[in-house]
Amino acid sequence: MSARVRPLVETDLERIVALERATFPSPWTRGMFIDELLQGSSRAWFVADSPWGLLGYTGLMEVEGEGHILNLAVRADARCQGVGSALLTAVFDEALRRGLDRLSLEVRPSNAAARAMYEAAGFSEEGRRPGYYSDSGEDALIMWTGSLASEPMREAIARVAERASRIGNLSIDRGDGSGVAGAPSDDVILAIETSCDETAAAVMRGGRELLSSVVASQIDFHARFGGVVPEIASRKHVEAISGVVDEALSLAGIELKDVTALAVTYGPGLVGALVVGVSYAKGLALATGLPLVGVNHLEGHLFANVLAEPDIEPPFVALLVSGGHTSLVHVPAWGEYHTMGSTLDDAAGEAFDKVAKALGLGYPGGPAISRLAAEGDPAAIPFPRAMINTADLDFSLSGLKTAVVTYIRKEQAAGRDLDLPDIAASFQAAVIDVQVSKAVRAVTETGVRTFLIGGGVSANPALRAALAKALGARGVRVSVPPFDLCTDNAAMIAAAAHFRLGRGETLGPSAEAVPDLRLD
Amino acid sequence: MKLTLAFDTSTEEVAIGLGKVGARGVHLLGETNINVPRASLTHLFPAITRLLQSADRTIGDVDAVVVGRGPGSFTGVRIGVSASKGIAQGRGIPLFGVNTLDAVAERFSGRQGLVGVVGDAMRSEIYPALYRLSGDTIERLTGDAVASPPMVAAEWATLGEPVLLSGNALRKYADAFTGAMGDAAIIAPEALWTPTGESLLMVAWRSYVRDGLGDGDPGTLLPVYTRLSDAEEAERSRDGVSGPSPRSGVAGPHATGDAS
Repeated sequence: MSARVRPLVETDLERIVALERATFPSPWTRGMFIDELLQGSSRAWFVADSPWGLLGYTGLMEVEGEGHILNLAVRADARCQGVGSALLTAVFDEALRRGLDRLSLEVRPSNAAARAMYEAAGFSEEGRRPGYYSDSGEDALIMWTGSLASEPMREAIARVAERASRIGNLSIDRGDGSGVAGAPSDDVILAIETSCDETAAAVMRGGRELLSSVVASQIDFHARFGGVVPEIASRKHVEAISGVVDEALSLAGIELKDVTALAVTYGPGLVGALVVGVSYAKGLALATGLPLVGVNHLEGHLFANVLAEPDIEPPFVALLVSGGHTSLVHVPAWGEYHTMGSTLDDAAGEAFDKVAKALGLGYPGGPAISRLAAEGDPAAIPFPRAMINTADLDFSLSGLKTAVVTYIRKEQAAGRDLDLPDIAASFQAAVIDVQVSKAVRAVTETGVRTFLIGGGVSANPALRAALAKALGARGVRVSVPPFDLCTDNAAMIAAAAHFRLGRGETLGPSAEAVPDLRLD
Repeated sequence: MKLTLAFDTSTEEVAIGLGKVGARGVHLLGETNINVPRASLTHLFPAITRLLQSADRTIGDVDAVVVGRGPGSFTGVRIGVSASKGIAQGRGIPLFGVNTLDAVAERFSGRQGLVGVVGDAMRSEIYPALYRLSGDTIERLTGDAVASPPMVAAEWATLGEPVLLSGNALRKYADAFTGAMGDAAIIAPEALWTPTGESLLMVAWRSYVRDGLGDGDPGTLLPVYTRLSDAEEAERSRDGVSGPSPRSGVAGPHATGDAS
């Protein structure tokens, strides 16, 4: 695998801002980068791109026949592999092309690794800017090259170019959490998911290339009970699991012997449903001798977004919202999760199901309410927005559900016809208002520039639109998975397993299902 | 002679047997029976691995898998059945199911007369099964069912001969049987109330001799539940549906029969 250096294009902006934030204590803001891009020909920006995403970037500013290096960042997991040298080489080439005489830059005295790299590239200290770095009050060292045409500089530039050639054979496998990549890029993972009411299996190569994804839904068997019946879910998993796995292998055009690792969701979820997948997967692992990776279902939902948008990288905040979960999670790096808030009672999907049941709309309630709401007035009935003004990031949805049910009873008692579209739209608006308000608060608190939505309720078009509008207006990129990756599936489990496998995390033969497994 | 791995997790006992099964009987290579209430998922696989090691075999040597299909704890049964599907499918070898109560009755092989096995079905109910043992044969007289202990005890009191009682439901209901049946109730020692690795292999051998074991497809093997989920049972009684519940699986959208 290799990386290459190319000029920066506008679509790199979000990733650069994220990398800047991850790299520097007092990062440039998005606005500063936009200003730079508007400077035109006096600037030249380069990025190091790779199959693992953006690995680094740098910028050159031309001032009166000399050049100044504005910023040079390399992603933590890609350091010491020639990426910095490759970026410097691009700057040297550009400077020579423009006929610039010398280059300068500023560096923190405490950043020994960077100083060593610049010294090897022909830079030497020529002065200080006192108190230059606002976060620590540290001075900046000012470093200058000699004349680029001089013999020592030509030798230095050649040495840098030689080190830069290493990016042609890059390996990012330290699995320190800063990159999605980790496991061998050609691994073939068979993943199994049985945490709720979908029996699913998928085959994925290299954590990205989805060879097959099969989902056997049980909705018809639960529909008449108005919700998932755990015992029915468990029984259906036992019936379906062998066939679903066979189909996933056959659609992928492979056999079990071509698989290099197995994966299974081991929590959170319904315990009786989880144990079917875990027992079965442990059986497959015993029979084949393959490693078995245990995947947290919620981490799987985060990776569903990455499947759809491969350039998604931490830091970000995710809203995980489904029939079983409603939480806001801060993800500063892959594998590092901080739950900032979650529902104190019902999950959002549960509230949709219960209100749908009260309105006689059937199960699942999400799609039914969402369709009706499209024709109703969201401001018709002022349902409560519980906890919308509290300083925390928790949710409460059971009061809203009760308010809707009470409203329905009152209207019926008064002999009035129910305006179903208005009730659906007003209920949905109350849910969305709180979700959006807390999402904005979480983004503001963390300063992230990327926001992910995952889980079954993320298929709700009004929720997607409201979050995209509120956060987009603040310059935050909002990532929503395609509809088929919102609901439970095993493709996302395979993608998360690829990451975990890269860290060498596997389940032993005595592993259990963990119904209340946490993300952090 | 097929090297067969058999196990059952339907009760609080994880029973595992490894042996060669042929037309003339079972040659037991080893067995492990451990009492691990509600922890079979934790202990099953390490115990299988240890048993294979102690018999100097690997999973790659195994030719067939046999699993106890219950009745028993729903979750317990599913752990064993799901594990067996994974092993059989992963190795590409046949999987056969045996009835867990049959494997308890098997422990009295060689005796004469009636054996009544009662498995704990929770919620004040039991899984009863009656057998007649004669010479070397074991004949099952009743089908799979779930019933209340007093009803079963009253019925077995009318048989007119002693019944040797076994099964893990005796831990709760031995008094109901001795009360209703008097001297006709003979309680077996508690050590004989659960299946063992060897008894599972023996039941598999009997089925194999009697009528073959089936096609061995791991995809179609299902647990024996004897009753529906609570939600479906409630729906049936509300809708006035009578008749026995499906033996395995889910009733299906119209609650009219065995969907499996």
